[in-house]
Amino acid sequence: MSGKNCVAIASDKRFGVKYLTISMEFPKMFQATDKTFIGISGLATDVQTLMERFRFKINMYRMNEERDFEPITLANMVSSTLYERRFSPYFVEPIVAGLDKNNNPYINGMDLIGCSTTACDFAATGTPEDQLYGTCEALWEPNLEPEELFETISQTIMSATNRDCVSGWGAVVHVITPERVITRTLKTRMD
Amino acid sequence: MTDRYSFSLTTFSPSGKLVQIEYALKAVAQGVTSIGIKATNGVVIATEKKSASSLIDDSSLEKVAVVCPNIGMVYSGMGPDFRVLTTKARKAAQKYKRIYDEYPPTGILVKEVASVMQEFTQSGGVRPFGVSLLVCGYDEKGPGLYQVDPSGSYWAWKASAIGKNMVNAKTFLEKRYNDDMELEDAVHTAIITLKEGFEGEMNEHSIEIGVIGGGNFGFGPGKEEPVFKKLTPEEIKDYLANIV
Amino acid sequence: MECIFGFTGKDFVMTATDSTVAQSILIVKSTEDKSRALSKRILLLFAGESGDTVQFAEFIQRNVRLYEIRNGVELSTKSAATFTRRELADNLRSRKQYSVNLILAGYDLTTELPSLYQLDYLGSSVSAPFAAHGYAAHFLFSIFDRYHRPDLSLEEAKALMKMCVGELQRRFLVNLSHFTVKVVDKDGIREIAI
Repeated sequence: MSGKNCVAIASDKRFGVKYLTISMEFPKMFQATDKTFIGISGLATDVQTLMERFRFKINMYRMNEERDFEPITLANMVSSTLYERRFSPYFVEPIVAGLDKNNNPYINGMDLIGCSTTACDFAATGTPEDQLYGTCEALWEPNLEPEELFETISQTIMSATNRDCVSGWGAVVHVITPERVITRTLKTRMD
Repeated sequence: MTDRYSFSLTTFSPSGKLVQIEYALKAVAQGVTSIGIKATNGVVIATEKKSASSLIDDSSLEKVAVVCPNIGMVYSGMGPDFRVLTTKARKAAQKYKRIYDEYPPTGILVKEVASVMQEFTQSGGVRPFGVSLLVCGYDEKGPGLYQVDPSGSYWAWKASAIGKNMVNAKTFLEKRYNDDMELEDAVHTAIITLKEGFEGEMNEHSIEIGVIGGGNFGFGPGKEEPVFKKLTPEEIKDYLANIV
Repeated sequence: MECIFGFTGKDFVMTATDSTVAQSILIVKSTEDKSRALSKRILLLFAGESGDTVQFAEFIQRNVRLYEIRNGVELSTKSAATFTRRELADNLRSRKQYSVNLILAGYDLTTELPSLYQLDYLGSSVSAPFAAHGYAAHFLFSIFDRYHRPDLSLEEAKALMKMCVGELQRRFLVNLSHFTVKVVDKDGIREIAI
């Protein structure tokens, strides 16, 4: 979700198989650069494999090019990585969110073969995608300040995951500002 | 070699040298001179273009190559080898673009080409490239000029010369170069430097010039990125007219 | 029908596997050990398609051992879990995949902490205070939610283990007569009676 010179990215913490919840501490996002995060929803094994692969590629890029990924470049890398597996895809839907070198927000959502959409407002993936878009649509407005953005994205993800019986069990929110990344965990209903 | 194995042709001599690479450098030193100068707002690369016979249609000769919109290069040494490297460089640039949707920074492309050239000093069944390259480009860090040698080593230069007349040309450039030179000046300086060791008549058909920066924009999201451009004979003629 | 589970205690991990080998409706063996020691302080429990299970577990076991021999250091539990996960995940996209669910229990001397990883046949891996695969999960997670604490003493853990086994034997349709219970702590892996 984008704000005024800030972006926020949030995910729930559930890991489960069908209706059995196995873990409530399963991170689905990781920090790619100082000002960019990648969040991946989908099949857990592919989420983990891709996190490892992206971490590898990000580190290699940083060493080779002596600079950090710009969010748009990162999104293209993620997209082409997914498209490499066009005919046996990873079952994931990633989101790239970050601030570019001019601190403009960048949000990008992708399908499982890397077809990406850059959004100026928000992007959502996962089982409660429909609910998320609904709540985003209702709560989001342009040019939110970091604290307002935090409130908005938190309410959005809580409202949406509470209506989805296979997601929730706590949530993590990162708000990325030019100066720092604010990370907070949310307590949500655990049933 | 008397043995049956296909070892690399570039095998260390007892004195610790790779003579094949030194021979390759000799091939470069016999090639016609090429000049590169980095200005504050761009880079120019220039070379002589001499054909063996007046019957050759020299408009088809191409010594300055566009690698991708923001990078170009020129060589001294063996033409056919340069063509191979150009193809590899262009492929590398497109491969990079396919992954990141942007063209490589100059340094990355140079690294790529240099590693190809290094590979040819260590592989079996091949010989080193008989060329030195001057690669120029423009990226977020600004203008960049690199020289790559047959060994695969590369340096960033403010101004450099390779080929037959390189020693004189470099001495000349050292005198002429200053840090706040703009692209227009740099093009002039490059032509004058070439002229120093030029045999025969210099005209718009006997030299080739490529520039990047200095107001030539043309690609990127808002078409605001500098683009590498080869000067047309007409443009070169204008420059030459100003010099005499 | 197989049950493998484990939980962490204060400075140990306690694990249990049922000891039954069944083919169709027939019990062919009731003293099977469904675990392999990957190193002195890492234990791998497995359940799934027979054949695949032992094959895969021993493949991991030997690779972890090979790493130790090559490098002269033991893998941490986390590293062993990451390695195992990656093998499973890569294997998932092959022509014929292993169908093995795993639990990794280990005690790391460097951190002096017990750790437990639950891995499924797809290659998902989670670090958890307690883990269970198969039908056991449906019976045991609620017990763990209610009674598990990270600072369990060995005696308390034994009591909890008894509770788990008792619950399975009382409420689970399948007759699992015997469980192999093991403890992994700083002294290594040992089987215990409960």
